[in-house]
Amino acid sequence: MRVSLFYFFLCLSFLFISCTKDKPQPLPIVSQNLKITIQPFFDTDTLFLDSVYQTQEGYSVKFTDINFFLTDIKNGDSILNQASLYNYRDNGILLFSSLGNPMNYSNLDLLVGVDSSINHNDPSAFPNESPLNISNAGTMHWGWNPGYIFISIEGKVDTVSNSPLVFDQSFSYHIGTDAYTENLNLTSLTWQLLNNNEYVLPLKIDLKSFLHNPNSSIDLANEFITHTSSGQEVLSNKVLHNFKESISPM
Amino acid sequence: MKRFFYFFVLFIFLSCTKDKVGYKATPYTLNIPSHFPAMIIPENNPMTVQGVELGRFLFYETMLSGDNTMSCASCHAPSNSFSDSNQFSVGIDGVYGNRQSMALINLGWDDFFFWDGRASTLEEQILGPVPNPIEMHQEWDVAVAKLNNDLEYRNRFFRAFGEEGIDSIKVSKAIAQFLRTLISSNSKYDVMYKYENGMTLSSSDQTIFQTIDSEEWAGYDLFKSLNGADCFHCHNGPLMRVKKYSNNGLDNVFTDSGRGAISGNSNDDGKFKVPTLRNIALTAPYMHDGRFSTLDEVIDHYSTGIHMSPTIDPLIEYASQGGVQLDNQEKYLLKKFLLTLSDETFINNPNFMNPH
Repeated sequence: MRVSLFYFFLCLSFLFISCTKDKPQPLPIVSQNLKITIQPFFDTDTLFLDSVYQTQEGYSVKFTDINFFLTDIKNGDSILNQASLYNYRDNGILLFSSLGNPMNYSNLDLLVGVDSSINHNDPSAFPNESPLNISNAGTMHWGWNPGYIFISIEGKVDTVSNSPLVFDQSFSYHIGTDAYTENLNLTSLTWQLLNNNEYVLPLKIDLKSFLHNPNSSIDLANEFITHTSSGQEVLSNKVLHNFKESISPM
Repeated sequence: MKRFFYFFVLFIFLSCTKDKVGYKATPYTLNIPSHFPAMIIPENNPMTVQGVELGRFLFYETMLSGDNTMSCASCHAPSNSFSDSNQFSVGIDGVYGNRQSMALINLGWDDFFFWDGRASTLEEQILGPVPNPIEMHQEWDVAVAKLNNDLEYRNRFFRAFGEEGIDSIKVSKAIAQFLRTLISSNSKYDVMYKYENGMTLSSSDQTIFQTIDSEEWAGYDLFKSLNGADCFHCHNGPLMRVKKYSNNGLDNVFTDSGRGAISGNSNDDGKFKVPTLRNIALTAPYMHDGRFSTLDEVIDHYSTGIHMSPTIDPLIEYASQGGVQLDNQEKYLLKKFLLTLSDETFINNPNFMNPH
């Protein structure tokens, strides 16, 4: 009887001990794959490189390259991406892909261009995977004016009306140097779920509104080149301003 | 006792089966110049001392050609900065190609190869010329059989790859390893680039810096000037090129559609890979078809000889006027700068020479 009692209390104490409250496990930090895409449009049409579109002036225009740097992409103190290079011809519409929680990025601050604190660093010294490394930046780094080309939009235009299609004029807008960065703020953003672990934020850039901004229209026939050099300030500012204004959520 | 003896003999016999001999090649450390980006080495072809050395032997190996007369170096001679001084290279059957042999300089940083970019890796590029009927004209299995008949090569392949056997993939890998060592970074331009970018100049750089004269600096300014020669759009940075295909206004009608023939996109017609300008004084003749014999002809082309066409590079800003319209003094200064791109240590490097 005493042995039975002993076993009874042993079992009871075992049950008692096993019923101690479990410590709550910390919630896992959810890191999703976040992609930002930027689809070029010409008004309501999807824009393809080398395809022909009509400007308000009646010019036929085709874009041959659309490249730009967007850097310091964050919401408050939460940084999503340090630097990204958009290259429509080589990479399509993908701006970048990073890990993060989409809930943290319903608003985004971006810098069009590269901050002066790193714009003049040795372009060979950035990590191999950085878009700022000279191997990745490629044509978007200026050797002559050490620093990056922030925006590069190039193409051709037929400025002669009533004639067969002849692209008589090239245009190239190259914006760079420290004074020509702009902050871009995007708010109330909606990340779209692609699959279990991947979200996308689709943005767009409208090249028609880039050319025909109501306050600063660009006339392709006469304003066809800037390298952000001395004497090109007016067009350079126009390009930078219009570029910023032409980016928006889809 | 006798049974034990036989058992013992059998045991000894069995223990004498041939062991596989392992061999681990020595990793090769590339000396990347301080002002260059890091070089991405393919994971499936790590560089080794033995691999680089084998690649050097193979680069100069005439057994790779059908009649044992031609090697890679036949069209990529060190004295010409690993290019061909002939307009078109001639193959073993006396047939001429239709493009100029490209200079082999700093290829470890390139992403596409040949004038039309039809190869996306160095290893892939190397597989092309051996079976090409207008070049070395020999099937790979024949070339490999020849190498296999050579004991020294069998040993070299074993030491390079740690296993027996020779095939075309190993040949291309070894040559690729050697080509990645062909780094040119010791020209006056390198010092000018470092100085301009605020990088520290070594004592030897300082010595070179003292030799750069005012005309060379003026030529560099002109090279970079938007209203001068305007060359920097396509030729800049430590590698003196950008990664792109360009139609630089050679023709208004294309006899060679270049990149367009590969991509199938007519917007690429007349475009070719932008080559480096390093050692440009040593790599004549110029352009994809070697049409210009001298640097003066090249400068004249960009000055007044540009032809308009639908795919002309928009960055050739004065194309509609025929070019950048340099005067004689500007042409002289520009040429002075182009000569600063020569790297004598590169073409005389004993590690790059014929080891046979």
